[in-house]
Amino acid sequence: MIPLRLGALILLAVVVQVTVFADVRVSGVAPELLVLLAVMFGYWFGPRRGPTAAFAAGLFWDVYLPTPLGLSAIVFVVVSFAAAAGGAELFRDSKLQLATIAGFGTFAAVVGYALLGEVMGQRGLVDLEMLRVALIAGAINALAAPLTRPLLAWSIGPPTGLEGAGAVR
Amino acid sequence: MAPAQQTGRVRHRLVLLTLVAITLLTLDLRGFESARTAQGLVRDLLHPVNTLASAVFSPVGDLWNSLFDYDELEAENAALRQELDAVRGAAIQAEADSSAYQQLLESLDLPYAADVTTVAARVARGPVGNFAGDVVTIDKGHRHGLSEGMAVVTGAGLVGRVERVDGVTSTVQLLSDPSLLVGVRLVSTNDVGLGHAVPGEPGMFIVNQGPNWPRITDTALLPEVGSAVVTDADSRYTADVPIGRVVEVRPAADDLSLEVLVELANDVEDLAFVSVLITAQREDPAPAEVVPSTSVPLDLDPDLLDPPEEGGADEVNQ
Repeated sequence: MIPLRLGALILLAVVVQVTVFADVRVSGVAPELLVLLAVMFGYWFGPRRGPTAAFAAGLFWDVYLPTPLGLSAIVFVVVSFAAAAGGAELFRDSKLQLATIAGFGTFAAVVGYALLGEVMGQRGLVDLEMLRVALIAGAINALAAPLTRPLLAWSIGPPTGLEGAGAVR
Repeated sequence: MAPAQQTGRVRHRLVLLTLVAITLLTLDLRGFESARTAQGLVRDLLHPVNTLASAVFSPVGDLWNSLFDYDELEAENAALRQELDAVRGAAIQAEADSSAYQQLLESLDLPYAADVTTVAARVARGPVGNFAGDVVTIDKGHRHGLSEGMAVVTGAGLVGRVERVDGVTSTVQLLSDPSLLVGVRLVSTNDVGLGHAVPGEPGMFIVNQGPNWPRITDTALLPEVGSAVVTDADSRYTADVPIGRVVEVRPAADDLSLEVLVELANDVEDLAFVSVLITAQREDPAPAEVVPSTSVPLDLDPDLLDPPEEGGADEVNQ
């Protein structure tokens, strides 16, 4: 049942990203909903299942991007694993810590995507504009992360990746 | 499960996922057709969902833009009002000038897409994500006769080229993408060159290279400011599709050759409808078979191995 719900969640995120966030932008930067999902998967499921779910999200997102298939997937796997590792080190699962992980995770994902894209032969991804995009997208996702908690809890149940974290506040 | 065993499994899974992603990357970069077909299929399957979602969520986008881009809209309205006044005045003058305009068209030789089949398309959505700023998706695809490389135009001129074609949608690489090179002809001098958008300067296009490209000292060959720039007959696109008008001719960074700065005829950042020119696509010539320099090709004419006559080497060098 969980894979089905997870699939539905990823599909919903892709549709919203492709339709709503093609128009809704903050200072010209679209929120990176799929990146947020990848970070949340790591935080929620832990290092074992989080990166797998993030890989699926990245692969689906790659279908719509002009960059080669697998580029987002590989970045999402790494970021999700890092978020899982960060989440497991927490003593308490607080909104502030979640927002911090989402913000840094998004920044790292955007920069990693651009760098890897350049390595793969895509031109014009790495410049000052990339840093601006990464900062704004990171800030948006930091604010949005606590809001997506209830959606994740509703669709895939309570978090299982916070072995090191204390009681949920 | 012991922690060490669990860590080992996590590591194995990470390595496996990374390897799968690298395999997919390699296949896609090598142009593996099945991977592209599968992606196109997914996009086609989701097209109705996206269309429905676009219709449902479009008020959200409109509301957002009206809230946060109000100043921009106000400025745009003022500019449009000013433009409308100018057009009203020009319309009166145009009646008198129409014969001159016809002559101008003839002299510029711009039979723009008169005999070419076109397919009208609506821009379904703008760029997706943060790193695809110079693409739009249109609502026509393979089923409507589109194929990769076709020119996308509006009444004003070239907009871009069809980059990726699915069943019912296509992605268009806009002329504002600096990586899109276009073979152009400067109408006033008939010089042929290669041009591309200027990074960071929306609406500007630069032509700075080409066969027999004039040097800065060739003052007689400088194109006139205000003269038209169109696609060249030998480019990948239909000949004589307008690109824009020359606004500046300046020396290049090397101080030897020319750079021709062109203002694009189209505002590619604000498109609603476009037309695709349905033309046969030129295929790039097949790469020549690589033969090691020390070996003799098996199918080589033995006569060619004979020592050349006097002057023969010179002829070859020429």
